Amino acid sequence: MSTPPSDWEVVIGLEVHVQLHTRAKVFASSPWGFGKEPNEQVDPVVLGLPGTLPVVNREAVEKSILFGLVVGASVPEHCSWDRKNYFYPDNPKNYQLTQKDFPVVVGGQVEIELPGASRNVMGEHKFIRIHHAHLEEDVGKLSHAGSGSLVDYNRAGVPLLEIVTEPDLRSSAEAEAFLRSLVAMLTQAGVADCDMEKGQLRCDCNVSIRRRGVEKLGTRTETKNLNSISSVRDTVIYETARQIRELEAGRSITQETRGWNAELARGYVLRDKEDAHDYRYFPDPDIPTLKISRETVARLAKQVPENLYDRQRRYVEKLGLPYTAASVLVNDRALAEWFEIAVAAHPTNPSGIANLVANDLLRDLAASTGTAGAFDEAAPAPVSLASCPIKPAQLAGLVKLTDDGVISKQQAKEVFTEMFKSGQDAAAIVDAKGLRQNSDTGELEKIVQEVIADPAVAKSIAEYRAGNEKAINALKGPIMKRTQGKANPVLIDQLLRKFLA
Amino acid sequence: MAEGFDIDHLAKLARLSLTAEEKALYSSQLNQILGHFQALADADLPATIDDARVVDEAALRSDEPGPVLGAEAVTRIAPASRDGQISVPRVVDDES
Repeated sequence: MSTPPSDWEVVIGLEVHVQLHTRAKVFASSPWGFGKEPNEQVDPVVLGLPGTLPVVNREAVEKSILFGLVVGASVPEHCSWDRKNYFYPDNPKNYQLTQKDFPVVVGGQVEIELPGASRNVMGEHKFIRIHHAHLEEDVGKLSHAGSGSLVDYNRAGVPLLEIVTEPDLRSSAEAEAFLRSLVAMLTQAGVADCDMEKGQLRCDCNVSIRRRGVEKLGTRTETKNLNSISSVRDTVIYETARQIRELEAGRSITQETRGWNAELARGYVLRDKEDAHDYRYFPDPDIPTLKISRETVARLAKQVPENLYDRQRRYVEKLGLPYTAASVLVNDRALAEWFEIAVAAHPTNPSGIANLVANDLLRDLAASTGTAGAFDEAAPAPVSLASCPIKPAQLAGLVKLTDDGVISKQQAKEVFTEMFKSGQDAAAIVDAKGLRQNSDTGELEKIVQEVIADPAVAKSIAEYRAGNEKAINALKGPIMKRTQGKANPVLIDQLLRKFLA
Repeated sequence: MAEGFDIDHLAKLARLSLTAEEKALYSSQLNQILGHFQALADADLPATIDDARVVDEAALRSDEPGPVLGAEAVTRIAPASRDGQISVPRVVDDES
């Protein structure tokens, strides 16, 4: 059921609802946050009480514009708000403030990366177009208890950016990749936290199928309110299979709104087109049209971080990092910036630093911090670098000691573990533990000459001189033994070749 | 003018239960109202921004959290409440 027969093509468009990172609500000054007692984060504007007027939160507008700039959208000269009228108790005003005709973001695109053939191979890249994004208010939360329903308006009025894609996605894997990429961009720009466990990102998923080669889109269904990446993936797989089954049985697809039961892994009909809401949109008379100054756009443009795939290309092409390490680093902006500070302190071996960061540091940090948001079960746990006991320059120092031959790679692992525990510099740990390899040429020269003079190794010397390169290794053991393993192997090799030449 | 609406559908959306007489009365009144709006819609106006309604960013509020009513005050103005939440007749929009 995971792949449709090859003559069918699935066409997917997503509407992604993201709670923006602000302190106050979008049209009211009421604070908001997850996990508060019901109705404790509500003020008269949120409830739409008589005599109140909504005023737009600047931060919510700027975060929306910032998102537009991140995806390369055009930021319109004006945007305005409309009323979407409907009767449902999740909304205290009987209308939701949203943007219909003049949204804050128009166009743009999101680069995605599909999974490669294996973990260390980069997959195909694609661009998914954004149709628009509009800034609206979230609605309250209903819970159903017995014969009645209970309403908590804490969530009502929370700034919500609805990001609408073009129908550019062609598989469940592409939908997953798009959401991962979008989440990375939103969080790295500080637009939103996207904590799916807290419902900060929810998704509506439009699915239709058509015969390959046919241009006309098939009838689509919309599955609403998906709150995890796996639910989106499963919905696409389920809907694709269902629609193929219907069409191949000679039936037709009904344009309908559907729900998804994640526990039973199946979709169900919420309402068909006959039942479609008539929202009677009209411009909200309380909120004037907003003119967005080009100065604001220019100021926000400076906050746009490097795109994660641009960063990945730079790491692979300019710094020579393996794809595996680069792809891990770029997913976390703070981690990538941490890595870059370390590289600045020791620019000659970015891969050595990247491997320590992407493997050892991440592993030890993950062991000491929390878990990933539930929307994306497959994502690595976000780590907190604030509590990281090792500073970037210290890690660079460790790699430099290894590169200079002061300690071996094996010893570096041991030193790293100690650094993570104590926060001490690598050099201090190396000295305290007496790990420093002996690089005193004079003393080492003497030992090398003594070993060469030992008749026990005469055969190896003869073999080496006869052209057997490997025979030289037999001499290194006795030297290491006499220096208690502290001799620098690179130096030993140089000295042996010098004296045997 | 032909009716541009379905009175049964509108009544359903508005959660109203109407008698045949009411349907006839409201249909006729709605037709009149829609006729007025049709006159406005017929006016040849481009879909542009109304300059008179435009404000700049100075009209935005800063992201400063202000006071809240508190659950007690919120539930007091509702017809019914329970456990700090507003109580309404059961509404379901899920699998049933």
